[in-house]
Amino acid sequence: MGDIKSDDKKLEIAQEETVKTNSIEQVRYVCSLGAMHSASAIPGVIPITHCGPGCADKQYMNLAFYNGFQGGGYGGGSVVPSTNSSEKEVIFGGAERLTELIESTVKILDADLFVVVTGCISDLVGDDVESVVSDFQKQGVPIVVAETGGFRGNNFTGHELITKAIIDQYVGEYDGLKEKGTVNVWSLLPYHNTFWRGDLTEIKRILQGIGLKVNILFGHESEGVSEWKNIPKAQFNLVLSPWLGLQTAEHLKNKYDQPYLHVPIIPIGGMETSAFLRNVVDFAGLDVDKAEAFIQAEEKIYYNYLGDFSDFYAEYWWGLPAKFAIIGDSAYNIALTKFLVNQLGLVPGKQIVTENPPEQYRDAIRKLYQNVAQDVSTEVEFEEDSYTIHEKIRNTDYGHKPPIIFGTTWERDLAKELKTAIVEVGFPASYEVVISRAYIGYRGALTLLEKIYTTTVSASA
Amino acid sequence: MKINLDTPVVENREQRLGTIIAWDNGSATNLLKESSTICSGCGANNGERLCETKGTFTQGSVCSEMMVECQAGNIRDAVLIQHSPIGCGAGQVIYNSIYRNGLAMRKLPVQNIRMISTNLQESDMVFGGIAKLEQSIRDAWDRHKPNAIFIGTSCATGIIGDDVDSAAAKLEEELKIPVIPLHCEGFKSKHWSTGFDAVQHGLLRQIVRKNPKKQKDLVNVINLWGTDVFTPMLAELGLRVNFVVDMATVDELAQMSEAAATIGFCHTLSSYLAAGLEQEFGVPEIKSPQPYGFDGTDAWLRELARVTHTEEKAEVYIAKEHARVAPRLAELKKLLKGKKGYVATGSSYAHGLISVLRELGVEVNGSIVFHHDPIYDSQDPFSDTPDASKNSLGFMVNNSGDVPNFSVSNRQQYQFYGLLKRVNPDFILVRHNGLAPLASRMGIPAAPLGDEHHALGYQGILNLGETILDILAHKKFHIDIAAHTKLPYKQWWLDQKDPFVLAKEKI
Repeated sequence: MGDIKSDDKKLEIAQEETVKTNSIEQVRYVCSLGAMHSASAIPGVIPITHCGPGCADKQYMNLAFYNGFQGGGYGGGSVVPSTNSSEKEVIFGGAERLTELIESTVKILDADLFVVVTGCISDLVGDDVESVVSDFQKQGVPIVVAETGGFRGNNFTGHELITKAIIDQYVGEYDGLKEKGTVNVWSLLPYHNTFWRGDLTEIKRILQGIGLKVNILFGHESEGVSEWKNIPKAQFNLVLSPWLGLQTAEHLKNKYDQPYLHVPIIPIGGMETSAFLRNVVDFAGLDVDKAEAFIQAEEKIYYNYLGDFSDFYAEYWWGLPAKFAIIGDSAYNIALTKFLVNQLGLVPGKQIVTENPPEQYRDAIRKLYQNVAQDVSTEVEFEEDSYTIHEKIRNTDYGHKPPIIFGTTWERDLAKELKTAIVEVGFPASYEVVISRAYIGYRGALTLLEKIYTTTVSASA
Repeated sequence: MKINLDTPVVENREQRLGTIIAWDNGSATNLLKESSTICSGCGANNGERLCETKGTFTQGSVCSEMMVECQAGNIRDAVLIQHSPIGCGAGQVIYNSIYRNGLAMRKLPVQNIRMISTNLQESDMVFGGIAKLEQSIRDAWDRHKPNAIFIGTSCATGIIGDDVDSAAAKLEEELKIPVIPLHCEGFKSKHWSTGFDAVQHGLLRQIVRKNPKKQKDLVNVINLWGTDVFTPMLAELGLRVNFVVDMATVDELAQMSEAAATIGFCHTLSSYLAAGLEQEFGVPEIKSPQPYGFDGTDAWLRELARVTHTEEKAEVYIAKEHARVAPRLAELKKLLKGKKGYVATGSSYAHGLISVLRELGVEVNGSIVFHHDPIYDSQDPFSDTPDASKNSLGFMVNNSGDVPNFSVSNRQQYQFYGLLKRVNPDFILVRHNGLAPLASRMGIPAAPLGDEHHALGYQGILNLGETILDILAHKKFHIDIAAHTKLPYKQWWLDQKDPFVLAKEKI
């Protein structure tokens, strides 16, 4: 506990230097409308945006392009229909314009489901979008609506609005039997997390490995709307994130009488992944022997490779990072902290969570850091403004050498200033090209090690 | 029409220039002809100017506020406040990346952009956001001690009616630096280029020095982040370059009124600022064809030389450059023989690029421009009409020939499919995102011209030729991806012969 106290002192000093205001410099999340990406992340689903002329492009270019250059997929990017609202819609309302856009969209675009999302203009003017969309629903058009005006919240809260809209307006009522051994997974925020495609693939793979049928719901491994239609039949929901998805899981519990398992730490590496899988096996009442066989096989592969890596880790001549600082969303932040501390034996330097988690979840998140290992307890701070974040990172005493930074493009110059390495692991990652890379589970952990130590070694000469 | 600097709000392009964002009525010659006539009765643009096609289906466009970010947000010693909910702040990501890469290309110190969102919430929509705006301006000052603070408005603040002008005036007095409101609500103009004008309007009103000491060898170059091809070129004429607006300092922007002339790479971008500098401070705008291809570059250099009294040096340079590029140009022409190119960029930039392609012997029988300005802001010195010497569409048609399939489409991907099918090009030249990915899925490679100076001047002819050869080689990738991709459009739409059919039928 002695360590924590001295950390507390530092914290107080830092807070005196920078007073928290409304300002956000160098954004780390976008607005609710950005969650239109949660729609286009479902195979065969296309968002329809009812907003100003720049909103759709703005969310796409920043969340999906200059963040790992992920691409818009089938129905995202520049495919997305938009009312491109003008002065006319501001003065006279935009319901008519939305109606004609939906009519023509249905003629032109080939989608299994359309998700109407709104921007500031519609929400301020007070367009009755629900009534517009319900007219189309009555005609049998697969379409739902969520009001996601930018001032209502960020793309994390927008994600849950869109998820709920699809469940309530498209999936609908169900009181039939449940399928034992089927799970719905609610985890990383699509597109915002730069590595979501690869990570969701790994999550699905390991859950299938222990005997589950997995509705992964987003990304290339999802079967699209047919999978969403099967949500009510699942035995349970798995919320694999510190807080995102909890609202959805609560809703599903009430709506379909479906229990959920909340695992706040996304597993990275052999230890954490095996423990996670055993936790799921226990909760779902799966065949333990079958699951253990999978875990053993995966661990064998993982530790073979880790053994190969250990030669380097044990005797690389020129020094390796000892401390780390993480600036990013709570999901990756705690997951990486856990892995770096327990698998590599690195020492936490500074952890800053940046996605503005709702107040009610913050204590639970703080506790995760306090119990990161049996002998390691650390603190976490919540901050969204990068100027303040960078001041905090600068004003921390890391001892004899600077920490390796796990952050975003915003920290590139800071890393140079502190004469240390940076691994871009979150939004925005404008200097990473990401296709199918995963950083979690058994396989992702090895890729992550490659990334960390290639970064370190390649800076040597 | 004269530029009016008395009001803080810039007049949008549709009002000033009769700008349209959709048109599909044949060739470039037709567009040129229609641009000079009065509307025949559809009522578009108040019945005063060129008719515009209007349809019900539209895909996401780009807004004025984004153009404010990419200009006012990229001034090295200023801060841009985005007075908006957090979503508008998303743009900080793209313009940071472009800014950093631009700084590196120009060999300037690389730094992150300095843009601050006021991060307005639901309660601010009810009670107003002015207190937060003032706080963010003070934060900008405390953090960075900038030499100017710009404020970009948003759709939300425009609708709730925040009095940004008064807040700016108050803080300007308090901080003793220019605090400049830029009115750029996305819904107020159908074309994003109004955002360029909003920034330039603010610069003319509050940054540019009112009592200039003339620097007779200084030339304003209105550009974006492109490589510095101008310094060596203008040095041949004994002139110095003042790059504006991106990556300039506030002082470099202030001295615009002291320059001997103003030039640019694209009339769309430079129209307002160049005309304003001439009208208010007597800095002559070089009114000539744009510097693309031999004819355009010759004419442009000669006009610059005439205005700056450097004719002899210019003639030496022109002759030297013609001779220098000729041998490689001859080789490139052989290599590109029989190739068909398609241009999809902003308006006047496209006119320039088409001329360059034709110098390279590439056939151009199709093009789209994202908007069309029938006129630019500058006035003919001898009459009260728009200046004809800047008519880039006219210059293209008259010097390099007609383009039979010429359309205006505001970066609408669904129309681009049919437009490409009309002419089946071997490659496309493109600026702005969203169209090249579709072309790729159709097996057509694109040269995305991020460096806007790439095709400029004599060397630009060669540059573009080399780039086209490079991207033609990429075709293998695109053909493979096309064979393995399903487009999100219905077969009915893909079979449509007329990409503007929805605009013509009444739903």
